[in-house]
Amino acid sequence: MAGIDECLFEAMQIPGALGASVVDWTSGLSLGSVGSAPHQDPEATAAETAELARMAAEHPAFVPDGPDEGATGATSSTGKELPVEDVIVTTRTAYHVLRFVETTFDCSVFFHLWMDRDQGNLALARHRLRDLAERLVLG
Amino acid sequence: MNVTSPMLLRLAAERATGALLRDRGTLYLADGQVVHAESPSSPGLEVLLTASGRLRPEGWREAVDRAGAKGLVGRFLIDSGQLAGGELELCHLSALHDAAFFVLGPSSGPTRFRYGVVHWMGPVHAVPTDRVEREAARRRELLDRLWPYDSVDSAPVVRADRGPASPVTPRQRSVMALADGTKTPQDIARALGRPAFHTLVDIRRLAAAGAVETPRAPAPVPSVPAWVADVGADQDVALLIRLRDALEAAL
Repeated sequence: MAGIDECLFEAMQIPGALGASVVDWTSGLSLGSVGSAPHQDPEATAAETAELARMAAEHPAFVPDGPDEGATGATSSTGKELPVEDVIVTTRTAYHVLRFVETTFDCSVFFHLWMDRDQGNLALARHRLRDLAERLVLG
Repeated sequence: MNVTSPMLLRLAAERATGALLRDRGTLYLADGQVVHAESPSSPGLEVLLTASGRLRPEGWREAVDRAGAKGLVGRFLIDSGQLAGGELELCHLSALHDAAFFVLGPSSGPTRFRYGVVHWMGPVHAVPTDRVEREAARRRELLDRLWPYDSVDSAPVVRADRGPASPVTPRQRSVMALADGTKTPQDIARALGRPAFHTLVDIRRLAAAGAVETPRAPAPVPSVPAWVADVGADQDVALLIRLRDALEAAL
């Protein structure tokens, strides 16, 4: 059974992982966090990454063109069939990967993985986070 | 918030189990941590799960009927394969902080604590009391930053005649579609199966953009029905009966 804490623990097994959390991007609530966080403040980090995730999830620039755009757009950012899969921020020393969690109820949650740039592998991390985001809601 | 803080600190320190009753709702504590919260201002867990069709209303009722008395409704929903553990946790935490935001909000009413009261939902995910209080305070600041007028939080909202000054997001569009001048933000949250706070965030953003207004005097804040105060009597009787049984068994 994959709960929030189990998924976060597994996220920390990703090579280079420094810290991981599950965050709600509408409210900025941290639903759980493990490892360390930038400036040792997981709650402030959650609120800041939530702002970034919200912009990616909601701004029209990132919604792909398609027949469903517009009229049915109301359901496209409720956690179901999100237009955006992940957001990656590269700093001089680290990677931040935000992976959206797709749910069948109205929800706005993502994984945040903070990893060391020298030790981390971005492609591997994206792959593992995708699996974790699915397992969190599929059990 | 200032009223409840010392009380919550004390309850956390003594690892208390029971219900903290305020006029905007109830916090349930187990071993000094918050395990559940309910408020008339926020949709309950069942609304979040059934409005989207994720859970059938019959499935929810069956879980309450069969596991409610044992206080294991959450466990039943998972064991019967209706929900994944992670899904329940996400929804439960979302509903808990949503209700706690209103319970811990400014209030002139009394705050009481009933020892021994256990919620029928059962254990899902416990949150330390200071974490719950910090989050409620942070949410209040966030709303004030978006649009510092709380009249839009409780009154019916209506779409403004002129269009919004900035683009409206898909989530905001679904809120605006229901802003018909009769529904309050709480009504809209319930209809969409979204947390009330999330709806307030969208409504304050829309108000700041000039997309919605409040056409009439704010509706009265919903308060807990009077029967909530009576719950205590039954709980006390149940506790006395358990005590008597335990004493008799020991003799």
